[in-house]
This record gives sequence, structure tokens and C-alpha cells, in this order.
Amino acid sequence: MLKTILVMYLAVIPAFIFSQTVSGTVIDAQSLEPIIGANIVVKGTLTGTSTDLDGRYQLSASFGDTLVFSYTGYELLELVVNATTMDVQMRESSQLLDEVVVIAYGTTTVKDATGSVASVTERNFNRGNIVTPENLLNGRVAGVTVNTGGAPGSGSTIRIRGGSSLGASNDPLIVINGLPITNNTIGGAQSILSSINPNDIKSFTILKDASATAIYGSRASNGVIIITTKSGGNDLKVEFNTQVGLSTLPNTLDIFSADEFRALVAEKRPDLVPLLGTANTNWQDEIYEDVVFNNQNLSLQGSLFKKLPARLSLGLTTQPGIRLTSKFQRNSAALTLNPSLLNNDLKVTINANLAQEKNRFASGQEGNAITFDPTQPVYDPNSPFGGFFEYYKDNGDGVLNSADLTPNSPGNPVAALLQRTDKSEVTRIYGNINLDYRLPFFPSLRAVVNLGLDDASAEGFTSVVKESRTTQPNGEFLGSRSEYTNDQRNVLFDSYFAYDKNFNKNIDVEATAGYSFQRFESEGYFSGELKNDLPDSEPVNSAATDLVLIGLFGRANVSLYDKYLFTASFRRDATSRFSEDNRWGNFPALAFAWRMREDFFPSSELITNLKLRLGWGITGQQDIGQGAADLYLERYARGLPSSQYTFGNEIIPIAVPQFRNEELKWEETTTSNIGVDFGLFRDRISGTVEYFYKESKDLLAFAAISDGSNFSNSGFQNIGNFTSQGVEFSIDLDVFNPRQSVFNWNVGFNATVIKTEIKELALNQDVRVGGIAGGVGGTIQLHRVGYAPFKFFVYKQVYNEDNEPIEGAYVDLNGDNIINDNDRYLYRNNQPELTMGFLSQMSYKNFDLSFNMRASIGNYIYNNVNSARAQYDLIQNIQVLSNLPRSVRESNFNTTPTVILSDYFMENGSFLKMDNITLGYTFKDAFKTGADFRISGGVQNVFTITNYSGLDPEIFSGIDNTIYPRARTFLLGGNINF
Amino acid sequence: MKLNNIKFLAILLILFVSSCTKELDVTPGDPNAFLSEDFYSSPESYRQGLAGVYSNLTLTGVSGPGSSNIAGIDAGTSQYGRGLWNLQVLAADEAKWSWENDPGVAEIQRSTWVANNVLLRGMYGRGMAQVAFANEFLRQTTDELLSKRGVSTELRAEIATYRAEARFLRALAYYHMMDLFGKCAFVTDENPVGAYQAPQAERPQLFKYIESELLDIEDDLKAPRQNEYARADRGAAWMLLAKLYLNAQVFVNENRYADCIAYCDKIISAGYQLAPNYLNLFKADNNNNDATIEIIFPVLSDGVVTQNYGPTTLMINSQVGSKESNGASFGVNAGGWGGALRVPKQFSEIFLNGEYDRDDRNTLITADRTIDISSIADRSTGYIIGKWSNLTSTGARGKALEIVDTDFPMFRLADVYLMYVEATLKGGGGARGKALEYFNALRTRAKNPNLISDAELTLDLLIDERLVELHWESHRRQDLIRFDMFTGNKYNWSWKGNAANGIAIPDYRKVYPLPSESLAANPNLTQNPGY
Repeated sequence: MLKTILVMYLAVIPAFIFSQTVSGTVIDAQSLEPIIGANIVVKGTLTGTSTDLDGRYQLSASFGDTLVFSYTGYELLELVVNATTMDVQMRESSQLLDEVVVIAYGTTTVKDATGSVASVTERNFNRGNIVTPENLLNGRVAGVTVNTGGAPGSGSTIRIRGGSSLGASNDPLIVINGLPITNNTIGGAQSILSSINPNDIKSFTILKDASATAIYGSRASNGVIIITTKSGGNDLKVEFNTQVGLSTLPNTLDIFSADEFRALVAEKRPDLVPLLGTANTNWQDEIYEDVVFNNQNLSLQGSLFKKLPARLSLGLTTQPGIRLTSKFQRNSAALTLNPSLLNNDLKVTINANLAQEKNRFASGQEGNAITFDPTQPVYDPNSPFGGFFEYYKDNGDGVLNSADLTPNSPGNPVAALLQRTDKSEVTRIYGNINLDYRLPFFPSLRAVVNLGLDDASAEGFTSVVKESRTTQPNGEFLGSRSEYTNDQRNVLFDSYFAYDKNFNKNIDVEATAGYSFQRFESEGYFSGELKNDLPDSEPVNSAATDLVLIGLFGRANVSLYDKYLFTASFRRDATSRFSEDNRWGNFPALAFAWRMREDFFPSSELITNLKLRLGWGITGQQDIGQGAADLYLERYARGLPSSQYTFGNEIIPIAVPQFRNEELKWEETTTSNIGVDFGLFRDRISGTVEYFYKESKDLLAFAAISDGSNFSNSGFQNIGNFTSQGVEFSIDLDVFNPRQSVFNWNVGFNATVIKTEIKELALNQDVRVGGIAGGVGGTIQLHRVGYAPFKFFVYKQVYNEDNEPIEGAYVDLNGDNIINDNDRYLYRNNQPELTMGFLSQMSYKNFDLSFNMRASIGNYIYNNVNSARAQYDLIQNIQVLSNLPRSVRESNFNTTPTVILSDYFMENGSFLKMDNITLGYTFKDAFKTGADFRISGGVQNVFTITNYSGLDPEIFSGIDNTIYPRARTFLLGGNINF
Repeated sequence: MKLNNIKFLAILLILFVSSCTKELDVTPGDPNAFLSEDFYSSPESYRQGLAGVYSNLTLTGVSGPGSSNIAGIDAGTSQYGRGLWNLQVLAADEAKWSWENDPGVAEIQRSTWVANNVLLRGMYGRGMAQVAFANEFLRQTTDELLSKRGVSTELRAEIATYRAEARFLRALAYYHMMDLFGKCAFVTDENPVGAYQAPQAERPQLFKYIESELLDIEDDLKAPRQNEYARADRGAAWMLLAKLYLNAQVFVNENRYADCIAYCDKIISAGYQLAPNYLNLFKADNNNNDATIEIIFPVLSDGVVTQNYGPTTLMINSQVGSKESNGASFGVNAGGWGGALRVPKQFSEIFLNGEYDRDDRNTLITADRTIDISSIADRSTGYIIGKWSNLTSTGARGKALEIVDTDFPMFRLADVYLMYVEATLKGGGGARGKALEYFNALRTRAKNPNLISDAELTLDLLIDERLVELHWESHRRQDLIRFDMFTGNKYNWSWKGNAANGIAIPDYRKVYPLPSESLAANPNLTQNPGY
């Protein structure tokens, strides 16, 4: 669209020979106040400017040229130049139909979008303690769920419309300034997004349906998240943000206290009373601490030498975790330059980011803390283990080694944390250079080249002090140390032509065609155990096979009468993951949008927007993991030093042929989408309703393969069919209209219902998934044809007349008088039936108050904490005592093996969460410096309403076997703008 | 002008695109991964490739004991020898596994297994993978390929032996499949790699094939005891033939006891001898102590270079009692695996029947324990044993405290002696005197003073003696089936048929069902009756 160029600020006004200076003032039609920063361009050119503090502008234009005035939140205005002074009044449009939305290989506007495209910009980002970028949009967009772990800087499971694969990745494609990034987290980093400073982000665009995503072809099946970072501007702007906070543990699991445990042991196992200690330790309290975090950001924006728009941002985040020793620290610098050269024909954008992430990981001690005997102390002055209490008994042989440890005893959870250091440092350089050249001899055509680089290198080590009870394989207490490195690199070369022409007033054509090349590389090193010199602790170098993706793409948008919008796109993609015969895939898409208001009620004051959108397209999937990049090749793998064979006395490094499938090809997802966008009362009420239907075929499934024909009994194959459909609804309300009242209030609400069904599985065989604790290799979930994936697969518990469960008694569902695996049945689902998000933003004079909430309805949880631990027999852990969840009092179960697969442990995990509430006050023109100064206070993870008995019902897998608890954080923030 | 410019740009673009598509031809990036053509370009590769086929008997993957090339089952549990052990030992009267929350175990040891049992899937997958590995080695070592790669005449002679060994390993795998499942997919090196759906072979066809293969490779294999330790020789092939013939009545309803005796004779006269000390056969240094003279074919384990969770690591850690924490006396962590294995009452009763009060083979630990396993979860019930050890014959500890150095003696001379006795008693024409001599030789070696007379030499005694001599060596289910004691009511042991005192189980349980995933992946396979 022509309007795309409106995003550009232009500092220098080229003086054309035939043009003259046009100037004027831009004011708000209602308040008659000047509008600062409105954009004005000469239509069809890149000549433009923006208004100053008094709303004044001037630029060069010829009579007959059309000037386009635009300003965020106002209706677009086009005027033909007929005087040298043109004063303009602009009308507010509360629904931001003209807001520019970044899409694949270009931009569009809300008004002209044909696909299912949602944009989240700074103004409706989530507030609060946002450490990783994806949390800016958690709950904001219908159909998008973000499930973030509790560790500091922790990664998230992001799903757009629930994903579309069973065996391949369900992660959306994430594109930062045109550079698609890998979904593979580098060793030592918290996540793929953890090194990105959320403060540098200008907007997210979520592409949900295939008509919007298909131009990304091979990787678009799970939707696309386009992240655009802030760019430079003309005016000098300085912004400083600071935030400090206190993170606390919101709640703990319900287990017996020390005194209750003494009573329990006396009641159930009087023979074990002598093993009880005299301390009163709450191990769950001992492994956590309250921590203070802080977050500082400074950004400078302006025009260097009045010619080079630039932005520099520095960020410093220090976030210790509430689990002892865990910590996340990020130092980031981002530099953006947006020069325009060659009479503005060549626009250059340079984004350069340097981020350093320093992590200290803390191993999960939750399970240990639940069960560790609460009558034992944390510290023991006589202990040879660094003063920590441990179970040991000196066997008097003069050497302290594993033979002195109490057999099969657990280690002190606090010692396990404090005696271990697991640190990493990740340096990531990423960015892109974008050259956008309007051909001077053919001004409708632009040539764009985008070069991207994402290079991350990690270094880390794990060490355990020698006073720890950690033993070497031979039983010696030497502590432990190992080191590792990991390097990942992702390079991108994109080039495309963009053609944009307004044939006459009624036909607008935009076409794009291009080529994309991307390569992903990764290599690593592991030192092996450095505290011993056994052959199996030799260093190991490893590398992933490169992944190369090549795409040819094209797209055409035609707009007729500004009412009928057509989009067609096509991408032809190749991946190095598949053999030469199968590596190319074709991904077409079509979309049509009809701005119905303009035909039916063009002057209605009630209905101010009504748009129907229809979309269809095919997208691909090939991401089956870094380790499966070359399954079509005839490969041999050599055994590591611990995996060799010996002939006679000679150790032979073995070589084993690897699973091979030359037939692997693209998984394809066909999506149909119908949506209606509406706006009422001058768009004070606006929203979208959408329905989608997705069908994935040739699923890349890890499935059984005919035994004996391959070098495994299973491997990736294209078998299976999976559908999902859903309805999304979102609405935004300006309860009180801004600019007309000292009290402003707007709310946003969205809701999503998704239903999935497996239509065909490899060989129509059930697939067992969902590993659980309590046994080696047990699973609790199943994929079965005709059902949603990840159904729980359990025994049906039998209850007595008092409705108490009878231990080990299950319904003989197949009636053969034997209770075996054939009597398990499918129960519920780990995914919610309904998810909702709610955002409220209020302001009164200089106060602002915002909060956001999320709800998830109908997701079920298998309480593995209880199923694997809440049995009386487990009071005795061989030679020591073990605490239990208090829920054992309700079940009165004795033994794990007979109850672990019972549906008794299934619980409804529906929840309502308030993620954040923030109250702020802004001092306008503080200290008469022209600077705005805002202070704010808030709470993160405010409350959770749920019936789930465990710690936190937000568990993506639906299997709760302890989590890193999500902290409750109290925040104070300050922000200065000038 | 305009058009020319565009054309020029278009041509540039096309050239650029076509040059880049070559980038799509990637090669393995890992320093430990190779294209097979690159791998086989070096002369050492053949020995390494052969070691790869052998390694599948003990290693589950190439990246340590937690890695596996078999899916659907825990990596350690997918180990070849462990699968065999679970299905031959746990399913019978020799041991019960305390941790029944490990998937599949309860069904196996309570005789309630169904086709989707993960232990069955693991063993069928592992055994058939062995067939695939052997086939691949044979495909890579054809005359044609060796000539093409310019392999020296010397090495080619060596490779001929390697090929015979690969065929032995394939025959061994088919033998295990035939015994356990009664049938399997039949794949040879003639068939393609991928998703080839092989025809099903039942016992008669498998029996013939295994027999013909073993006879065919006999000359190419090294003479008995002349190959390197851990590599199969003619003795191993003869052993497998003898086992085939001993079980021929069960497998193909044929009386082949005479053939069994013939091959037992061949082995016995090939220079093997009983190890002087029974328990040295099961120690950490059984790869180089005086036991090697008895071992015909071992499967390796090493705490450092051959790490696996196979049968020896399993047995040594699991025989540690939960109360006793006696791991130190077996060279592993004091607590071991917390009392994972105990023996059923019927097993203990054989040892306590008076014949074996003084016998090295009787390692029962009974103090403070009940003979009955009244509850499988209660680890203080049932006796435990101490046959296996990660200590060396001189009392030194193995290299690591969990994964043991102790090799698994898959075939050893004592078994040959007892097979000779059995085949003779079953009318195979062996010399009764020799049979008695072999029988008593085992008791003498075990320092058991109760030598028997000719009149006492009966099949009833023999089946007990096989338990005493060979328990936990993965023979028991097969032995009980041969004596018609596995199914039906003739012999009930604790937890047979999921009853504390044991009840009858139907005859169809003499073979295991084919795993449901394997059936689905290959429609040529049919399920065994009863399942």
C-alpha cells in the first residue's frame, strides 16, 4: 500500500526544481489544539515531513500533488496542493483503521488487511515486570497463549491457535525485523527470546491464518509473530526507565509439618519413630528466598548530524530467582540507524543488537524438599559435608567416600543448591541491514535487500564443591566440574521487488516477488567430567547438521474502489532436511476482504466499520528438531567414549548406522478463515469475530516403523492427519472516550475456543506420551484417532459407599476379569476449552491504573506430585524417613504402583489469574524542564483463583510434577521522558 | 532502458538462486557422524562396523547408557540382554521386580501381559534392530563394494570372518524372536532399508533358516576359542545349534535330541572347561579371570567404556536387599537399587530341599526375611540372592559403583553339560555314563558333596539342577516350556496368573504376543492366537 511509506520520517526535504514550499498548521478538528508529529507526505513519493510542537509543517510540493496527512488515532486525510499555505483539521478515529501493521515482507494498514492479523503495540502492551518480550502480549490476542516458567528469564511455550502438529514443532515462527530466528535455544540461554530487551520492541504482529502466513511458507503452520523494534526519529527524545521489585514465593505445597509428621510416623509406622529427628524444618521455605530485582533502560533517539535518524538503547536487567542461587542478568545494547540516501530513493535501516545474558541455574529441588524429613535440620555442625546435614555414618575405614553415606538416602536440598554452581554466559549479536531502493527510472518499483545475522555463543560450567555428597562413579567425594560451549549462527539473505501502483482512484495494485535464503548452524563442546580422568570423561565436540532453507515467493494485493481487497500469495520453499526429490514444497494462499460498511451504510454513525474477511491457504512444516536435520542421508554414528565395545583387549569405537527415511517430505496445513471486523459508535466499540478450520496432513510423526527394515523400531514419517477449529472473539471498548474527559477508561477482552481432533495417526496406532514421575518410563497421556491429542489415559477408580477411593480397585472396563493395560480409558484433556484475556486501562488526570487478567477453562491436570508421593508406604524411603503430601489423608492410599495410573489424581485446572496491576502518576513538564516524569507501583502475579489443589494450575503439559514456582512480585517504577 | 534493467536484474537473480540451491545438499556436521560412503573409506571401518553390530547386544545407543535407538521404552530397559532377562526370568519363577510402577513389569511377572506391553515392544524392536544392523553390515561388505573400494586381499579375508559373525548375530536374534514371539518379520540383506514391510516367518521357516545359516557360516568362523574374547566363533554357532535342537520339540515339533547331543559333543571336545570357581563366572573380571575357559559367548559390560543398564548391572544392583543394604559386598553402592529383586518361594524351596545346603550356587540370603512374597511391594518379603558381583575374583571393586564391569555369559559350558544330560534322558542316544559325569562335574565344581547315582539322574532333578546352575541367566522360561511347566497347572509359582500362590495360565502364553505397534507397522504380521 502507498500508505506504507507514511512510517518514514524524513529529515531532509529535497528541493525539486519544479516544486515550491508548502506550509501550514495541523490541528485537531474538535479541540482545535495543534497536532504534534503528524506526518505529511507527497503521495507517490517519499517526500515528507512531520509537524513541530506548534503543529506547523513545511515541505516541497508542486501544484496538483496530493498531500497525505496522517497521525496515529486520526483519520487519514488527502488533499490536493492548491496553495502554498494549507491549514488542516484532522478528525480523530478511535478505531485505528489506518494504523500501520507490519506483515511479511512489507506493511499494510488495519483497514487494508485481508488476513487474520493482530497487532499489539506499545500502547496496549502488558505492564509490570516484563523480563522476556513474549510477556508483553500474554493474554492480549485471541488465539495466542503464552505459558512462561517461573525461573528468572524463563522461556515460554507460545501457541497460536493451539499449533497444528503432533510430532513436529508447534512453536510459531518468530521474525525480528525481517529475520526469522531459530526455535532452538542455545545451550546456556534461558530461551530464544531471553536475550531480547522488551523495552526495544515497538510492536508485535501476530499472523494467524494461512492467507497472512503462507508467504512464509515452510515455517508458517503454527502462525507467525513479527517483532519490530523501535527505530530512530527526527526529534531528540530521551527516555529513562527504572524498575525495582521484590519477588516472593506466593504459596507452597501442602505437606505435613515437622510435628504433624512426627504424629504421622507414630501412628502409621511406630517402628520408624527412632529415625525421627528433633528439628522443625520447612524445607520448602528453606530452598526459596525473597529477592530484589531491578531493571534499567535508557534510550536516546534523534537525528545524528540532522541527517541520520538513530536510536540507541541500553538495558540492564538483574533478576535473581526465588529458588536459592538462581539468577538471570541481561545487559543489552541496541543501535538503530535509518538513513535515507540518494534523494531518499534508498532507505537504509540498520538494526544492531548486542546482548549478554548471564545465568545461574538452580537444579529443581522441589520434589526433594517435599519429601525430605522435616524433623532433620538444614545444618549440622559436625557434618563433614560443608556443615550441611546429610545422612551418613562414618564406617571407620579412614576414608570418607560414598560407602559412608546412608544407602539410598536423598541429599539435603539446600546443600544441593548452595554447593552447586551452574553458570553460563551467552553473547548474542543479532540484527539486520535492510536496503530499500526505489528505482529512479521506475518509481513504482522498489528493490529490497535484507541481510540478517543472529549469532549467539554460550559458555558455561557446572561445578560442585568437594564437600558435597556428590560422588564420582567410583564413590570418591571429589566434587564435580564440567564445562561447555555452544555456538549458533543464523544468516539470512532476503531480496524482493515490491511494485506499488495506483492505476486510478479505484484500482490499487501492490505486488511483491522475491527470494529468501537462510542457514542455521550450531556446534558445541562438552568437557566431560574434569574431576576424574576416566576415558568416558573425555571431551566431546558436537555439531548439528546445517539447516538451509530457500524460498521463492510472490504476493499480489489488489484493492478495488477501496472496498474490495484481494490478496494472492505463493511461496515455493526448499529445505535441506529432505532428500532432493522431496525438498521443494508449494504454499499458495488467497484472501478476500470486503469493507461492507462502505456499500451498505457508508454514512452510518452507529456502524463505523464492518469488514468481512475470507482467507484460505496452505502452509508447511519441516521443523522436527536440530537432531533430525539429515534423516534422508545414509549415516553412521560413532559411539561416545562411554559407548564402545571391546574385542579381546582392544577397545573399538563402534559405528552404528542411523535411522533413515528418504521419503520424508513437508507436513502441510490447510487453513480456512472467516472473520468479521466491526466498529460501532465511531469505533468506540470495535472488535473481531473469527472462525478457523485447520487441517494438517502428512504429519511428521515419530512413529513405529516396520521392524527389521530400519535401524530403529521408530522414526519420523509422514503419516497422520490432525484438525483443529476454533472461534476467536475480541472486543475493545472505550468506556470513556479519551480527550473528552479527564477520566479515560478503555478495556479489551478476548476469548478463544479451540477444538482439536486427531483424524489419522501413523498406522492408527495409539501413541503414548506424557512421561510421569514414579517409575521408569511411565506415561499418562495418549494420542488416539478420533480424540484430541494428549488425552489422559487412566484407570477408572472404584469408590466405596462413603465415596472414598478403594486402593488398587479399578473398573474392569473390557470385562475380561483381568485389570491390565486394556482397561485404561481416555479422560479429559490438558488443553483448555476456553481461554480469555482481559485488559483494563484507566486514567484520571495524571493518574493511571491498569490491570490484566487471563482465564483458562476446562484444562485438566494430572497431579503427579500426589500420585507419585501421597502413599503411606513412602514414609519409609529404605533407611530414612520421607515426608508426604497431606492429601494422603484423603485418599488413604498405601502403595504407589497400584494407584499411580488412577483417574483419582485428575483435577480440573481451570483458573483465573490477574497477571499485573499497576498504578501510576505522571508529572507533566516536571520541574519545568519539559520532561514527563512518571512513577508507578504494582504487583505482578496478583492472584490465582482455581480449584486445583497443587501449587499453580498453569501447567502446559497438564502433568504437574512440581514446578519452579512463579513468584509474586511487588514493583516500583520510574520513567522520565524528554 | 527500463526493461533492460529489469531483465538484467532478473537474470542476476536467477543465477543467484540456482547457485544457492546447491547449498541444500548438506552433510552430517557432527564429528562423530559420517556418511556411510565416507565411513567405509577407511580400512579400520569394517572392524568398527562389526563392533557396532555386536554392541547392539549391550549398548542401547551411541551416546551413553541413557541413549537409545529403540523408542517406546525407557532407554536402559530397552537393552537387548535386559529385555531377554525380563521375559525369561521375571515371567517365570526366578525373580520378582519390586518397582511395579515401572511400566509393563507387573504384567510380565504376573502373567497378564497384553500386546501393548512396552517390554515386549522393546525386546521385539531391539531384536529386529539387530537383524537390521547385521543386514546393513552384510550389504556394506559385498564383494562388489569391497572391490570398488579397493579393499586389500588381506583385509578381505578378515572381512569374510566378520561377515560370518554378523550372520551369527542375525541368527541369534532370529532365534530369540522365534523363541519369545514364535514368529517375526523376515528381513535379509537382500531387502531395502526404510519402511519395507517384510513377510512374516513362523517357527518352521525360522528354524530352518537359523539352522542353515549356522551350518553355512561354520567354516568361515574362527575355530572354537581361537577368536578374540567377545567375538563369536564356531563354538558359539554350535551352541546355538545345540539349543535349537534341544528345543526342536517345542519349536517345530521334531525330535532332534540326537543332533543336540552331536553338537554338545563338538563343543565339549573343543577345549572348553568348567571354571574352577563357580562364582568367578559372575564377577567383574569374568572377561579375564579363570572363568573365560568356560564362557562360549559373552555380552560385555564395562563401567567406563561399555556403559549400559543391561542384565548384569540390573542384577547386581537389584539383588541388594532393601533391609540389608549389602551392595558393598557386590562392589556397588551400598543401597543398590533399594531391593528391586527378590526370589519367589518356589525358587527358594529348590535350594532349601537339602541337596544344595553346601553348594557354591546357593547364595540365598534368608535372615529376617519371609520365604513368601506376600506382597510384591513389600521388599522385606521373599529371600534375596548374591550370585552376581561387581567385585573381581581377587576382591577388588569394579571401575564404577552402579554400572558394572561384569559380562553376561550368554552361553557357557555348564549349560552344554546339562543340555547333554537332558537330550540323553529324552532319548537322544547320548551315553548315560557321560551324562552322569557331566552332572556330577557341576556339583563337584560347586563344592556340593551330594553327588548323584545313575538311578537318581531324572528329568525332574535335571530341571531343578538347571535352575540351580543357570538361574538368572535368561533360560528359565524356555526351560519350563520345554518341560511343560510354564503354562497350565503342572507347576504354579508365586504370582503366576496374578495370584499370590500362583494359578494356572492358558497355553497361549507360551509365546508372547507381537507388539501392537509392530503389527500395525507391518500388515504382513498376524497376532498370535489368544491375544
